[in-house]
Amino acid sequence: MNENLLRPVAIAGAGLGIASIFLPWAYGPRILDDMTYYFGPSFLQVCYALLAVVALACLVAHFFLDRMSWFARVIAWNDAAKAASLGAVGYAIAVIIAIAVGGGGLINVEPGGWLALGGGALAAVSWFLPASKAPIFERLRCPKWVQILAIAAVMAVLLFAAAFALNQSEADGFLVFAVFLGAAIFTFHATGFFGWLSLAAANNRKVLVISAFTVAFAFPFTQNGSDANMSVAAQVLTFAATAIGLNIVVGLVGLLDLGYIAFLGAGAFTAAVMSKSVFATLSVDLPFPVVALISGTVAALFGLLIGTPTLRVSGDYLAIVTLAFGEIFRITMINLDGTDGPNITHGSNGVPSIPNLDFFGFDFGQSHEIFGIQIGRFSNYYWLLLLVIGLIILVFANLNHSRIGRGWVAIREDEMAAESMGVNTFGLKLLAFAGGAFLAGVAGSVKAYTDTSVSPDQYVFLESAFLLAAVVLGGMGTIMGVLIGATLLKLLPEKLRYFEDYRLLLFGALMVVMMRFRPEGIIADERRQLEFHDTDEELAEEVEEDLTTHHAHLNADKELP
Amino acid sequence: MDPTLFFEQVVNGLSLGSLYALIAVGYTVVYGIIQLINFAHGEIFMMGAFGALTVYLVLGSPTDLSIPMALCVLLPAMILGGMVLAAGTALIMERFAYRPLRGAPRLAPLISAIGVSVFLQEFMRLFYGRIPGFPDSKRGIAFPRIEGITGNNIDIGSVSIKMSSIFTIAALLICTAALWYYINRTKTGRAMVATSQDPDIARLMGIDVDAVIMRAFVVGAALAAIAGVAHGMYIGNIDFKMGFMAGLKAFTAAVLGGIGNINGALVGGLVLGMVEAFAAQLGPTAWKDVWAFVILILVLVFRPQGLVGAKVVNRA
Repeated sequence: MNENLLRPVAIAGAGLGIASIFLPWAYGPRILDDMTYYFGPSFLQVCYALLAVVALACLVAHFFLDRMSWFARVIAWNDAAKAASLGAVGYAIAVIIAIAVGGGGLINVEPGGWLALGGGALAAVSWFLPASKAPIFERLRCPKWVQILAIAAVMAVLLFAAAFALNQSEADGFLVFAVFLGAAIFTFHATGFFGWLSLAAANNRKVLVISAFTVAFAFPFTQNGSDANMSVAAQVLTFAATAIGLNIVVGLVGLLDLGYIAFLGAGAFTAAVMSKSVFATLSVDLPFPVVALISGTVAALFGLLIGTPTLRVSGDYLAIVTLAFGEIFRITMINLDGTDGPNITHGSNGVPSIPNLDFFGFDFGQSHEIFGIQIGRFSNYYWLLLLVIGLIILVFANLNHSRIGRGWVAIREDEMAAESMGVNTFGLKLLAFAGGAFLAGVAGSVKAYTDTSVSPDQYVFLESAFLLAAVVLGGMGTIMGVLIGATLLKLLPEKLRYFEDYRLLLFGALMVVMMRFRPEGIIADERRQLEFHDTDEELAEEVEEDLTTHHAHLNADKELP
Repeated sequence: MDPTLFFEQVVNGLSLGSLYALIAVGYTVVYGIIQLINFAHGEIFMMGAFGALTVYLVLGSPTDLSIPMALCVLLPAMILGGMVLAAGTALIMERFAYRPLRGAPRLAPLISAIGVSVFLQEFMRLFYGRIPGFPDSKRGIAFPRIEGITGNNIDIGSVSIKMSSIFTIAALLICTAALWYYINRTKTGRAMVATSQDPDIARLMGIDVDAVIMRAFVVGAALAAIAGVAHGMYIGNIDFKMGFMAGLKAFTAAVLGGIGNINGALVGGLVLGMVEAFAAQLGPTAWKDVWAFVILILVLVFRPQGLVGAKVVNRA
């Protein structure tokens, strides 16, 4: 079809789509977030309008391209329009399905909803427009403050999106919002904005890290004192902290540890038996940092115990031995109940009712008020966990870029070659193994207090498999990836109770599919990606080119006064 | 130790060891050829047991069969059903989860295997009971009663031996003989040996390596299915989780004997079974599952090539 015809049709479609939010979409206020008003769009309708507006703007921009000079090439206008309109269609379909399922039949979809779908579909004819030239967005030089501002803005949006997603108590609202996020990311990706953003982030690493932590720190304030969501957030953080520890072992050194949860358990049990719980067998009054260190050390000792014999043999054995160790740990914890062994852990009951932490008179169990916002018990632990995760990320990042980290990567890629180049393979592997165990132990000690109870059935093989899945899904060897993987794997089951029974089935299938199609994970570590696709010449060149232009940019920016 | 008790434990150990050995062969054959720890092999064993149960249910849950009917018609049919389901699952698994990953870093197939293992367990848990007329698979299911085996004992002097033990040990003997014949006397068996020694040269000699790998999976699955039936009769019930522990212990047996070595898997299985039986008798029962893993770790420290000797030890 002719472009002169396509474009007006698409523009009309996008316009109709925008208009549709002023009509009701659903019959009945209980469906999603009440889409029943004329001229009163709900939040989820506004989300749709955002996609349609982007599509419209990108389509209309075409008429001004001649006058925009260099700016015309900054954004891939056509590609962005295509992505936004496809996203709008997908989103409209998701909303209609949600309305139909929530209300009981398509009859509940009001004309506005159909108009949204139709408008989106019309806009989607932009798919047949010619492809844009590669955008030069990422080559845009910007003053530093613009980059910093952009990072801060993205972080703020992330915070808002996370808070909104967590607040969706129903699965349908959560899923629809997730579709919107997916569509938005897809659109931004098409504009070339992410390339620019990742360069900006690389240039301002400190700003990025600080703003990320600020946002994470500010998260409890968005929850209005709801402790239920903060409990989920605390769980996500515990899980993520452990997964990052595992990522050292699996992602950096390439040792498959299938019993990692046992180290978390070792830390948790150590902290629990040393706590002031009436069921604790070893109540000693020590300040928490000391307890955390002892827990970490106990876990690290287990790591040494297991690692020393097995790290000498081939990596395959390690997987099974660590799995066996995980089982031994669980059985041992059950048996240390006073009848089959000395009473240390109270057997399968574990150690319940662990009292809250008390830092210099600050009771973690009390809720208190900051800036007029109620901060509950889980928020306190959330902040403590944030501290722990910060520590773990610090260790991870520093090791990754040090001599030790390079040694690890060398071992991962070719152990024999590494050894013959003088890398102390056994020592480094043991260090990684024990170090990873230490971090898990520290995380476990906080977990013991957050959960207020520790019992052996929390530390089964499946939990280890889930940790591994978080690492694999997110991207082995990266921090960002594992954070995303851990968040997805903990948050989705929490929000999608409906699918709870199928959780493990989907999880198993996901592992197989990921290994088949994207073994490097959502966020790929570049070197790792090459390793998995070593026959893919194109990818190799692409990564190389990326790296060189990337570094050229970094260096160019540094030369600026 | 009282001699009666001693002999009973020997029989227990032998039957437990036969189970482990039958499963361990599957690990070792596959490992010998493609150096993959087929983590999901325990689930193949589970599928074997469920396949046998399926045949029994499809036949209309026949009860009150005469002993010859039960032993000569029902039991072979059930074993065959188990083998078909187990081998079919193994082939699908090989085709879609392992074959695309050949040549990938070693972590990839192992992670894929864990995914398959979880998937198969959950698949059986969720969907087996949904077939009309089939029992709820979320709990343990009583294994069908086979006249002449289930609940029958033979008394030799003061020692009483369960018929199911005898079945298990006999199954191992027959399977060992059949396996020996297959490996050493048939063309496809020789091809398997050749491929495990050097896949590249085997390919140059005109051996279809893909077919050999598929056969290795089928052989392992068939033996695991027999073990599944034996386990069902020996323990009396089956469930979707039964493959996890059994698979782990069978893998221990394979390492104990020397992974990649078929004779090693048989020896390792029997030794492990004996150790477990006597450890359960002499030591506290609560710790009985720990010994297998302690042995695994000790073997790796002191004799990583296993008792009989592994074909490959340290191919990193």
